[in-house]
Amino acid sequence: MTAFLDEIEALVPSLRRYARALTNNTDLADDLVQDCLERAIRKRGLWRPQMPLRAWLFRILLNIYRNDLRRQRRRPEGTPFELLAVQPAAQPDQPHRLDLAETARALAQLPNDQREALLLVALEGLGYAEAATALDIPQGTLMSRLGRARAELRRLTGRSQPPRLRTVK
Amino acid sequence: MNDKPAPLTDFDLLAYADGQLDAARHSEVERLLAENPVQAETVGEWRQQDEALAALFGPASEEVVPGRLQPRNIVRAGAAARNRVLQFAAAATVLVGVGIGAGWMARGLTEPSGRSGVTLVSEAVTAHSIYSVEVVHPVEVRADQEAHLATWLSRRLDRPLTIPDLRAKDFDLVGGRLLPAETGPAAQFMYEDKAGHRVTLYVVPRSGNSETALLYSQLDRLEAFYWTDKGISCAIVGDLPRDRLKALAVASYDQLG
Repeated sequence: MTAFLDEIEALVPSLRRYARALTNNTDLADDLVQDCLERAIRKRGLWRPQMPLRAWLFRILLNIYRNDLRRQRRRPEGTPFELLAVQPAAQPDQPHRLDLAETARALAQLPNDQREALLLVALEGLGYAEAATALDIPQGTLMSRLGRARAELRRLTGRSQPPRLRTVK
Repeated sequence: MNDKPAPLTDFDLLAYADGQLDAARHSEVERLLAENPVQAETVGEWRQQDEALAALFGPASEEVVPGRLQPRNIVRAGAAARNRVLQFAAAATVLVGVGIGAGWMARGLTEPSGRSGVTLVSEAVTAHSIYSVEVVHPVEVRADQEAHLATWLSRRLDRPLTIPDLRAKDFDLVGGRLLPAETGPAAQFMYEDKAGHRVTLYVVPRSGNSETALLYSQLDRLEAFYWTDKGISCAIVGDLPRDRLKALAVASYDQLG
């Protein structure tokens, strides 16, 4: 139990970041994480060591999130003020970087399955196998969603047309 | 367009960008990208997406974790909640005993086929326990829409309901809500005094014109007075000195109808 709680505790920051990105709302995100932790602790007997604890927790969080979406709570709503305020002063020095507020808006417009998948891999750094486990989908499906999500994000941030050629470093 | 022996598929590009290829294929893709600026551009855009997401949401993982999200606190809170349930179950047994006793003593006053005082009081106490501790949504309709609340619940209970005014007893109306009772809709009105004590008045419709005396039940620290009058059964529940709750019950009894 102690080791289990230590492991969960170490993952809380990651769960909060993911929930924040999913919901676009600090309070709703923390509510979601709290629900997830409560359920994980209550159902800890259901966790099997062959599944990474991180994937199991993300799976629980996603199940709660989807149920809440069905009940119309926690739906991402545009770009909240707090995200607009995040614009870093350093941006003018990096003209190739994506506009953050624009990215946040584009992310909120993605279909939910694409957003869930993209954030697990691109933000949380889960490998494909672990992300597919968390989402409870085959790896091929995960990659399709990732491809669509990345293309859609590119389109929504106005980067796909026309393709500009420049070196990437 | 690209007739190399190992052409780059979209999946290759994705897996490359996400660091999911083995070392050999990774360097192979890297080499192919050097000859394919359009695909290299795509991968570059994806990297920028990753950077933007990290810049947007990375700080969320560095904030101090609030107490309610610390696993050990959650374990403690869960244990406390289980204890409350056990205490409630134990106390409810006592209540049923008292309720049956009171019902037996009052049997001359209650209609033989009506809902029992036990059901009435246990529903009222459960509803009180759930909603009187609620901070954000204690009621469905707040007291500033009292007229609407009275009209709405009168329609749903199919009775003209007057919401008792208990201000003379130092209790202000918080509001009310519709609840499911065993036999159909029920109304709950909540009142609060300056010290934050809350009492709830639970009302269910009842057929016939029977009347009962004012009856009393006790559950741990919760007390209930209940009665039937003019087509409704009522229970008022709270954690108050008995005399004070009784005064509220009498005032409600006088005004309801």
